[in-house]
Amino acid sequence: MIKVTHVTKTYDDGKVRVEALRGINVEIKNGEFTAIVGPSGSGKTTLLNIIGGLDTPTEGNVIIGETNIAHLSENQLIDFRLNHIGFVFQSYNLIPVLTAKENVEFLMLLQNKSEAERDERTTKLLKAVGLEDQINKKPNEMSGGQQQRVAVARALASKPDFILADEPTANLDSASTANLLDIMYRLNQEENMTFVFSTHDQRVIDRAKRVITIEDGKILSDEIR
Amino acid sequence: MSFWDKQPYITFVPFVMLFKLAWRNIFRNKRRSIITVSSIIFAVIFAVFMRSLQYGAYGNMLKNIVSSYLGYIQVHKQGFWTEKTLDNSFSPEDITYLLDHENVSYLSYRIEGFALASKDDNSKPVALLGLDVQQEKNRLGLDKKVVQGEYFTNRKTGILVGIGLRDIMSLRLGDSIIFLSQGYQGSMASGSYPIIGFIDLKTPELNKRTVIMDLAQAQELFAMPNMVTTAVLGLKNDNWEETQQEVIARVDTNQLEVLNWNEMLPELQQLIAVDKAGGLFVLFILYSIITFSLFGTVLMLTEERSFEYGVLIAVGMAKNKVIIVAILETILMAITGIIAGLAFAFPVVLYFNIYPINLSGQMQEVVEKYGFEALIPTSLDPSIALSHAGIIFFIVLVVNMYTIVKIKRLEPIKAMRR
Ligand SMILES: Nc1ncnc2c1ncn2[C@@H]1O[C@H](COP(=O)(O)OP(=O)(O)OP(=O)(O)O)[C@@H](O)[C@H]1O
Ligand SMILES: [Mg+2]
Repeated sequence: MIKVTHVTKTYDDGKVRVEALRGINVEIKNGEFTAIVGPSGSGKTTLLNIIGGLDTPTEGNVIIGETNIAHLSENQLIDFRLNHIGFVFQSYNLIPVLTAKENVEFLMLLQNKSEAERDERTTKLLKAVGLEDQINKKPNEMSGGQQQRVAVARALASKPDFILADEPTANLDSASTANLLDIMYRLNQEENMTFVFSTHDQRVIDRAKRVITIEDGKILSDEIR
Repeated sequence: MSFWDKQPYITFVPFVMLFKLAWRNIFRNKRRSIITVSSIIFAVIFAVFMRSLQYGAYGNMLKNIVSSYLGYIQVHKQGFWTEKTLDNSFSPEDITYLLDHENVSYLSYRIEGFALASKDDNSKPVALLGLDVQQEKNRLGLDKKVVQGEYFTNRKTGILVGIGLRDIMSLRLGDSIIFLSQGYQGSMASGSYPIIGFIDLKTPELNKRTVIMDLAQAQELFAMPNMVTTAVLGLKNDNWEETQQEVIARVDTNQLEVLNWNEMLPELQQLIAVDKAGGLFVLFILYSIITFSLFGTVLMLTEERSFEYGVLIAVGMAKNKVIIVAILETILMAITGIIAGLAFAFPVVLYFNIYPINLSGQMQEVVEKYGFEALIPTSLDPSIALSHAGIIFFIVLVVNMYTIVKIKRLEPIKAMRR
C-alpha cells in the first residue's frame, strides 16, 4: 500500500520556480494496475520519482507499507528501493555487459539470495516474460521490446511490493507495446503484483484498471474501472 | 540501528559479480583500455629501466672506487692536493697509529711525482708513481693489466710503462729510460731504469703519461728516504663517511689532510648530482604524463558510465558497491599494466646487467680519467621495480578519487536524464 499525503514539489534553482506537484493526495492498494496520465510537464515523472524514493517531496509524506520514506537517509533509501520497489524506466534500463539472465539475477545477488533461489526465480521470470530462449543475450543483441521485458523480469526479481514504470512503452512499436502490456497485465492478474505506470499512449490507458489524471501538478480525476 | 547498518560491508557473492562487471567493462572500449594499459606498461618499463641504469651506474662507481687507484680515503701532507710537490710529503711513521682504527685494514704508501722521461732524442713529461708493488698488486690488479713483459714478480727494480707512452716514444721491453726531475727540497733527481713491462690502464689519458716503479726506488730517485706523498686507507666496510670523520679527529690537521673520494673527484660528484637531478626530472615528467592520461581515462569512464551508475543506484545498488565496480575497472587495468610492464622490464634490465652499457661522452671521459671502467651494469635491486610499480598504483588510486567523489554525489534522477 502506497499512501501519498499533501505532497508538493517545487523546483527552485534561484531563477525559475516550478511547482511540479501542488498537493497530491492518493492511495494505491496492493494489486492495483494503475495508470498515471496527463499532458507533458504535468508532473507524472515527478510523482513516480517521489513515490519510488528517487526524489524527495518539498512537503508532505509518502508512506509505503509501514515506512515513511521521507524519513530515510540516502543509504537507507537505496536499500529500501532494493527490497521494496521494482523499477522499469523508459529505456536503457539494463546493464549492457550482463546477459538477460545476469541482469535479472543482479538484484538478487545484491540481496544475498542463495544460488538455488536465484536460478529458480530467474528461469521462472524469464519464462513469464517469454524470453526463456534469450537468456544468454546481452541487451544490445535484443530488441527494445525484449529489453523492456527483461527490465520487467528484473524489477520482479527482488520481490518488490510494487513496480513503478515511467512510460515503459514510450520507445516501443505497437506490437511490442501490446506484448509488454499483456505480460504486465498477466503478472498483475496471476501474481497479484501491483503496477503503477505513467503513459501518454491511449492503448495503454485503455488497459489500466485505474486511471489517475494529473494536470499542472494536481489530480484532475481518479477513475476506477 | 537500521537495516542498512547491519549489513556486512560486502559479501563474497556480490563481490564476484562486482568483479565480473568491472572486468567486462574493460572490454567495452577495447581501444581505450589497450591505450591505458600500454601507457602503464611503457611507464613501468621506462621508469624501472632508467632507474636501474642510474643506480647501477652509481653502484658500480662506488665499487670501482674501492678498487681504484684513489681508494675511499687518502692522507697527505696538508696542502698536497692543491699543490702536488714532493716537498709536501710526510713520513709513514707519523700515521701508523691509524691502523688501530677498527675500520682501517691497511695503509698503502705512495710517492706521486713528475719527471721528464728521455730515451735517445725523445723526451716526455710523465707522472711517476712509486708504490708498494707487492701490496698494491692484488688491490689494484696491476699485474693483470700488464700486456707485455711482466709485473714485479720476483723483483722490485725496473719500471712499468703505459702503452700510450710506449707508442709515442717507440719503446721496447728492456729499453732503459732516463728520468730527470727535481727531488725533495730542491735536490736534483736523475736515474736510469729498465722497462720490465707495458701496462694498459684502460684509459688513453693514463696510458700516455704513467710510469710505475717500486716505492723504495722512487724514494731513492727523489732523494726522500722514508718519505711519501700519499697514504691510501684500506677500509673493512663501505662506511667511508664516518671513518673519514674519525680519522680527521685523530690526526694533526695542521700537518695532514684527510680527503675522501668525493673531495678528490669533485667533477664526478657534480656529474652524479646533475645526473640524479636529471633522472628525477625525467621521472617527474613521465609520471605527470601518466597521471594526466590516467585522469583522462577516469574522467571519460565516469562521464560515459554515469547514466548506468544512475540506473544501478536507482534500482537499489549501494553507492559503495557502484564505486567498487567503477574503480576496479581502472585498478584491474593498472595491475595488468604493471605486471606486464615488470615482466617486460625484467629481461631488459637483466640483459644490461650481464652485458653492461658502455658510457659515452662527458661521463665516459671523466670516469675514465680517474681510472674507472666506463661500463654500467644495470642494478638488479628489486626495490627499484617495486617502488615504481607502487608509485603507478598509487597514482591510479589517487585519480580514482575523482570517480569516488562523483559517485558519492551522484543523484540517480539527474544522471538518468537524457
Ligand atoms: N529537475 C528539475 N528542475 C526544474 N524543473 C523540473 C525538474 N524536473 C521537472 N521539472 C519541471 O516540473 C514539471 C513536471 O515535470 P515532469 O517531468 O514530472 O512532467 P511529466 O508529466 O513527466 O512530463 P512528460 O510527459 O513530458 O514526461 C515540468 O514543468 C518540468 O519542467
Ligand atoms: Mg515524464
